[in-house]
Amino acid sequence: MNLSFIAYCFINIIFAALVSPFFMGIVKKVKALAQGRMGPPLMQQYYNLLKLFRKEALYSTDSSWVTRVAPYVNITVIATAALCVPLVFIPEAAYGISNVIVFLYLLATARFFMALSGLDAGSAFGGMGSSREMSISSVIEPVTIVVFAALAFIFNTLNLHEMFRESAGQVHLFDPSLVLISIPLFIVLIVETARIPVDNPETHLELTMIHEAMMIEYSGRDLALMDLSHAMKQTLLMAVLINIIFPWGIATEMGVAGIISAAAGFLLKGAALSAFIGLFESSLAKMRFFLVPNLIMIAFFLSALAILLEVFR
Amino acid sequence: MMAAGLIDGWVEALLALVLVTGAFIVSRRDLHSLVFAYTIQSLFLVFIALLLYLAHPSEVLLSIALLTLSSKVLLIPYTIKRIQKQIKISRDVEFHYISPTGSLFVTILLFLFVYYSFSGVIGGLFTADKISYTGAVFGVSLMLMGMLVTFSRKKVITKIIGYLTMENGVLLFGLFLTELPLIIEVLIIIDLIIMVLLVTILAAGMDSTMEEFHNRLHIFRRED
Amino acid sequence: MNFLFYALLIGLAIIAYLAFSTSHRKMQALSMVHALSYLAPAAYLLLYVDLPVYYLGNRYLFIDHLCLYEVLIATTVFFFAAMYSWGYVEGLVRAGELNRRDINVFYLMFNALLIVTVLSFMSNNLALFWIFAELTTVASALLVAILNSKKNIDAALEYILITSTLMLFSFIGLMFLFELSKQASTAGTLNWDELMAIAKSLPPTPLVFSFIFVFIGFASKAGIAPFHTWLPHAHSKAPSAVSAILSGVVLNIGLYGILRAYAIVRQTGAEQTISYFLIAFGVLTVFVAAFTMLHQKNLKKIMAFSSVENMGLMLAGIGIGTHAAVFWVLYHKLAHSLTKALLFFSAGVLHRQYLSNRADRMQYVFRLQPLAALGLIIGAAAISGMPPFPMFISKISILIQALSFSVPLLLALLLLVLMASASLVVFLIRLFSNKDEGRAHMERYDTQPGMEAPIIALIIILFAIGIFFPDGLRSMLDTITTELGFIGAKP
Repeated sequence: MNLSFIAYCFINIIFAALVSPFFMGIVKKVKALAQGRMGPPLMQQYYNLLKLFRKEALYSTDSSWVTRVAPYVNITVIATAALCVPLVFIPEAAYGISNVIVFLYLLATARFFMALSGLDAGSAFGGMGSSREMSISSVIEPVTIVVFAALAFIFNTLNLHEMFRESAGQVHLFDPSLVLISIPLFIVLIVETARIPVDNPETHLELTMIHEAMMIEYSGRDLALMDLSHAMKQTLLMAVLINIIFPWGIATEMGVAGIISAAAGFLLKGAALSAFIGLFESSLAKMRFFLVPNLIMIAFFLSALAILLEVFR
Repeated sequence: MMAAGLIDGWVEALLALVLVTGAFIVSRRDLHSLVFAYTIQSLFLVFIALLLYLAHPSEVLLSIALLTLSSKVLLIPYTIKRIQKQIKISRDVEFHYISPTGSLFVTILLFLFVYYSFSGVIGGLFTADKISYTGAVFGVSLMLMGMLVTFSRKKVITKIIGYLTMENGVLLFGLFLTELPLIIEVLIIIDLIIMVLLVTILAAGMDSTMEEFHNRLHIFRRED
Repeated sequence: MNFLFYALLIGLAIIAYLAFSTSHRKMQALSMVHALSYLAPAAYLLLYVDLPVYYLGNRYLFIDHLCLYEVLIATTVFFFAAMYSWGYVEGLVRAGELNRRDINVFYLMFNALLIVTVLSFMSNNLALFWIFAELTTVASALLVAILNSKKNIDAALEYILITSTLMLFSFIGLMFLFELSKQASTAGTLNWDELMAIAKSLPPTPLVFSFIFVFIGFASKAGIAPFHTWLPHAHSKAPSAVSAILSGVVLNIGLYGILRAYAIVRQTGAEQTISYFLIAFGVLTVFVAAFTMLHQKNLKKIMAFSSVENMGLMLAGIGIGTHAAVFWVLYHKLAHSLTKALLFFSAGVLHRQYLSNRADRMQYVFRLQPLAALGLIIGAAAISGMPPFPMFISKISILIQALSFSVPLLLALLLLVLMASASLVVFLIRLFSNKDEGRAHMERYDTQPGMEAPIIALIIILFAIGIFFPDGLRSMLDTITTELGFIGAKP
């Protein structure tokens, strides 16, 4: 294991953890502005997290070890997943962590523990949230796999790092398959991070919510960890989209100047994408639960189309 | 003069986008976004025609681009919007055989079917020109998508959008496959415009609410 | 030389006049003149000019014997329909089924339909034919939609949407054919005569592909199953004068297109495949029509399905493809158009009388409308192929040609055709034996002479053609069949 890779591990995880709340804050701010409110300051997410970290975690008397373990499992798994998706620079060797399938399984593991923790305390909301989460994931996961399969087909590799490197080296402004694949990637991003046409991240007590319902039993440190891992997951999926569609600026080798400029670039691109997500959310109403497959079908259709387009080549 | 490779890349991207709008038309229910998607789709076709014109200048391509722009991007969407306001229908939630989700799935199958039948029968025609083959396949697929809409929706106004999509598919096919003589090409487009305007006007009679029609109907005896 | 063009000009002038005219009588008379104006030049061309004649720089239009023949059939039907319109359309207006201000539109579309029909038959270029065929859909659909009923609009929309949707397939097929012709001759052409000339060098497999696409659209215009679903609604909802045109002329346009396209294919190696293909669709059409006719309650619908049946029979005849088969198909076309006009005219009179097309509403038909009843009976006898009517010999001959193809085909067609005829007869027996004492003293609808004359004339013409088969007609049909490249023993 060389030095570059170890540096990559630290830089990537820490950078992901640091910027994630910022992107969350931008989404919230944009949505607030779209609704004609001032909205929380951009740093509010950091204050929230800091405050929550200082508070003690309370547990329901009916909960088991699952509730206590889940936040730590979640943050660990997501942090590991962060290694799959380089944010600022791509290491030369990845030691297997860069595999697409590993990435997808890590996300699935996080989801599994999340759903389990929702069930654990036996509250009505948590159970409902978990049940919905699992119904949706049973539809979205095959599609996610097809989307990434399309990516693998386009770049002819299962290695995420390789994909990013190739796309960073591309000359053409728009590759048609990539234009196509960006839409399903965006839909996957929306669905996986519980955003508006599918879920409503604003509410805690509506019967419509999914993700927040599962975390309803958490407080203090545990809640902070859950929030952070959720934010990081969003950053990672955004990074996949960014690095495939707008790859310019990512460093392909280690170097202080390169990393700093890449980090700044990523921050800008991420902020723009977050703002777009915020606008997207503001422009839509939440979908009826049974209409969600329709949205997901579009993602499936487009990624299938991207694969077909590649076949024509 | 642009480089041929670059034009091909752009054309391919536009083709992909055309199919995206096609998928949108297949799966959406509210009429406003259907018309919008159709307008955008026609605009993409104009761009494709212009790009092809850059690659091989010919007056036919230019006139197709102009006619498409004036009729399909401006005139027809405008008429449909006006009719929509008249008939006060904004959503089409009735389907004959398959739901939009199902139709998207069927679309993929159609696409595969077209691809395979084309490659089997007429692949030989296109050995020199890969992009034309892609364009032809996309054209026929788009046409079949439009047909799916025409036959699976109940509201006439949605059926019209389906028919228009079919026309766009045929246009796409024609752009890539062959160049008909100019006069024929122009006549065809005019012909299709007449057809669409007529159907739209009739649809205004069909989809309108009952009160508007009642004064015309009151003397009518029941019949079959 | 350009007589037909003068006729077209007359037509355009009449249309321009109609747009401002207010007198119903004049509009109707002008429509009759318009139809007649094609007959004289057509006869002149037929007798004194060497056909085919080509027009326009690229030979986009032409006149050959088939074209003339079709134009003659079409204008005859149009002429009688225009004559019939006098009393009939006025009756519609009086009953409130048609707005008085829509009379203009009716005659405008009537004449426009006549012009585009003639032009479509005259098109040498297949793409041009496609355009005119589409325009006939536009004009005839408006004629269907013109009545004040939502059902009419519905039927017209169904008609337009189904046929024009499927016609797009034809267009794809034509573009494809154009591309194929480019490989055979450098310029590329869709002109029928040039395609016939280079047909031998067209590659068979892609040609089959292209023909199937072309077929789908034209078949929908001809009412071939399974693309016939628009036909019964449009025919039964349209005003009867229009139904006669739909059945006697507009369906012929589709069949004409198929015949032209098949004539090209016949020159190539793909002939066998397409022959089977056409016969299969023909038999399917007759099958569907025969079984649907069994349980019809609506007079005009059963006639519409009878049209479907006859179209199927003709398609099968074209598919058999011997000289004799095509000869008799063409003859059948003439007989069918005239008979259908007679039937729909009679049905129109009954519709005026009972204000319904349903058989169970029609009582004392003989007492109230003796001429229409006679027309129905003679028309039904003619359409079922009874001697001495012309369809007798054409049906028998097509069936004999089917025998030369294969025995099962003959049996299938014979059985289905008999079934269709039987259901028509059963329908009429029911219709004429309806008695409801309560309605015994229904007031008689006063038919105008304009409505009676075409019925009488058509009855006489049918008898005449059936009994005397003029030599001129025989030699003309022979020439057409040979021109189309169907060579073989003469019937």
